[in-house]
Amino acid sequence: MSALEGIRVLELAEGVSGEYCGKLLADFGAEVIKLEAPGGSPTRGFAPLLNKGTGGVEQSGLFAYLNTNKHSVVVDLAGEAGRTTLAKLLTQVDVLIDDHPAGWLAELGLVASELETRYPKLVACSITAYGLDVPEERRHAEDINVFHASGWGYHTPSGETVKPPLKGGGRFIPSYEAGLEASMCISAALYERAESHLGQFIEVSKQDVLGSRIDYVLGQMVAGDMDVSLERTAFDLGGPAGIFACRDGYAYIWMSAPAHWEALATLLGEPAWMKGFPDRWMELECTPERVAECRKHLAEWLRNENKHEVSAKAQALGLTLVAVNNAGDLIDSPQYQYRGFFSEVSHSVLGTVQYPTVPYKLSETSVQIHRAAPLLGQHSSDYLAETVGEQTS
Amino acid sequence: MTNSKARGGPLQGVRVVELTKVWAGPYAGKLLAFLGAEVIRIESEGSLDVTRTYGVADINKAPGFQAVNPQKLSTQINMKTEEGIALLLDLLRESDVLIENLRPGAVKRLGLDYERVKAVNPDIIYTSMGMFGSEGPLSYQTGYAPCFAALGGLSALVGYEGEPPAGMNIRYADSTFGTIAANAIAAALVHRRRTGQGQFIDVSAVESMTSMIGDSVMAYTLNGEVVECDGNRHADMAPHGVYPCLDGEWLSLAVPTDAAWRVLAEQMGCPELASSAGYATLAGRKANEAALDRLLADWTAAQDAQKLSDKLQTVGLAAAKSQSSVDLVADSHLWGRGFYTEVTDSEGESRTIVGPGWKMSRGAAITQAAPRLGEHNDYVFGEILGLSVAEQQKLAEKGISR
Repeated sequence: MSALEGIRVLELAEGVSGEYCGKLLADFGAEVIKLEAPGGSPTRGFAPLLNKGTGGVEQSGLFAYLNTNKHSVVVDLAGEAGRTTLAKLLTQVDVLIDDHPAGWLAELGLVASELETRYPKLVACSITAYGLDVPEERRHAEDINVFHASGWGYHTPSGETVKPPLKGGGRFIPSYEAGLEASMCISAALYERAESHLGQFIEVSKQDVLGSRIDYVLGQMVAGDMDVSLERTAFDLGGPAGIFACRDGYAYIWMSAPAHWEALATLLGEPAWMKGFPDRWMELECTPERVAECRKHLAEWLRNENKHEVSAKAQALGLTLVAVNNAGDLIDSPQYQYRGFFSEVSHSVLGTVQYPTVPYKLSETSVQIHRAAPLLGQHSSDYLAETVGEQTS
Repeated sequence: MTNSKARGGPLQGVRVVELTKVWAGPYAGKLLAFLGAEVIRIESEGSLDVTRTYGVADINKAPGFQAVNPQKLSTQINMKTEEGIALLLDLLRESDVLIENLRPGAVKRLGLDYERVKAVNPDIIYTSMGMFGSEGPLSYQTGYAPCFAALGGLSALVGYEGEPPAGMNIRYADSTFGTIAANAIAAALVHRRRTGQGQFIDVSAVESMTSMIGDSVMAYTLNGEVVECDGNRHADMAPHGVYPCLDGEWLSLAVPTDAAWRVLAEQMGCPELASSAGYATLAGRKANEAALDRLLADWTAAQDAQKLSDKLQTVGLAAAKSQSSVDLVADSHLWGRGFYTEVTDSEGESRTIVGPGWKMSRGAAITQAAPRLGEHNDYVFGEILGLSVAEQQKLAEKGISR
């Protein structure tokens, strides 16, 4: 079976964070009812769009990825009837997920105390950019803003640069991280609920989540054990590690210990330039000049290598050198194929394509994509009839 | 002894044993501890974690270790001895979850692989964290956090348009990997409570990174498009970027709609931009994005980042200062909501830590600093395993609990 089989989730979320949270629960077997406004979730309009999009609400690869295994029910919460339906649905579900800005749930009358009184078994989770107590001057936020409010932005990329700090990988790291955190909290709350028979209100802040992800550094800084500064390299480690161009792309090399240096010497056949470096220089005498010198030689060497081949040779010697993969490399990866990380999913508009699945394999809990993301309102009649049916019985 | 018995939290009563190193495994354990679990980190003088020792004068005050291990217990078991392994198996018999992120093959060599542990505790949730997962053609490979991000496809997306990838900040990956493991463990706990079944969880660090860019991977599988680094661009928003301000500071700004753009153009003192053919629509702004970014940078360059952010917020625009480490530790919102919180160590000294990313109605109390080495030997050996004082002394004399 799946861990969350029989658990019903109502997803009011319309952003990447809440939809990703719902997806993680749906993949664990939960029955996720995605409530959509008549126009559909805004993520239905987000890139990547099939063939760049020719209109319509069924062409988003983003939506398709985030909403596998879910059911779509259209309800207009702007109207009285919609709110009545919502209230009814809330009596029939175990979990509520929302990711609208702070204040949106309250406007529907769904504040923590009210939820706990009216739906005492409900596990409700709100994901927002800065928490429900957001100060006025942070009320408006997209992911890039939170990424930069959390410290990750200012310090990305690592190393010295005068160019603008970056948004991170892709557009949605803050949302994926917060959705993941929410999923974990909801499962933990369901675990407790099985004995206490009580739900609870969970509040996830993207800024807090991202701040906690840098605990190793920020925890030392806030405790006064590590210097804070205006340097964009304040999170960095230094040393010769970095990304280098190869013949067919890029490779990343990490070196910090004498064993790495020795493995490199073996791999390169003890070249003359390495002999000029003192023993344990990376630990004890890691000067900018030595780093630059080392990087220069690494660049010359790697320029003529192929990323996967050189990585296999290096790894066999204990040198932590890896390919900088792109999406094509991931599809081709023998390791991903072995673990079955990609799964073929058929969608009536998008066709049959490979979807990334989840990064864990569980021996007893199946985690599977059973069905493609729903078309807008595909399951309205199932759920609304059911709701009405219960109302009249 | 009252170790963590009355802290509350959804995972109260769950006992977790950590055979972990550095950051990713310990981070998974920390999340479970913050959710109320009793998390016991196994340590030994002969194989101390690098975060206890690297550049550190007092292993019991190691800053890095303290940052990632609050609210845990520490017990010394020497795993290089057969008796140590037997003792550990005794503890695992009394535990619910095991987390390991040792080198590939290490648990097998120690005689602590899943089959062995399952033999003494069939219900255990055994969590293995590896760069590529525990099996498969590349599972022998090793690496550190930036290697995960490179292999998982994430690093290739971070950088400036038309340039080689620059990669995420070097610290990224371990804590995300740890959270993904903790998420799987939480689901497995629900599974066990409903069925009585334990299981083996195999988590891949590299796949964890791919999960953070799933939509970019879909661009390839759906349209054959290999997404490359694009600075701060966003397919569905423009402007979308980080712009220079006074004193080397930076402002992040995102404009998700045409209406928001009109407001911004007004703020810039160029309302004509809002209706100009090149900029009125998202498609126009995307087509002229380089010029648009230059216009914005010229406008922001002479302004104070925080003041400009505050001003743009008052008219409903999504702006935020790019916070340096100085800004972060001074962030009054993070202090006000208790994200930074105080814990106390065994000597009564208080210490500020970074809290969790959530709050919940019946959350666990988080009050204890990271443990001294072996701080909870008595509790684990005496209370959990029921060893007498004499037996514990013998363990110490034989070097089993050193």
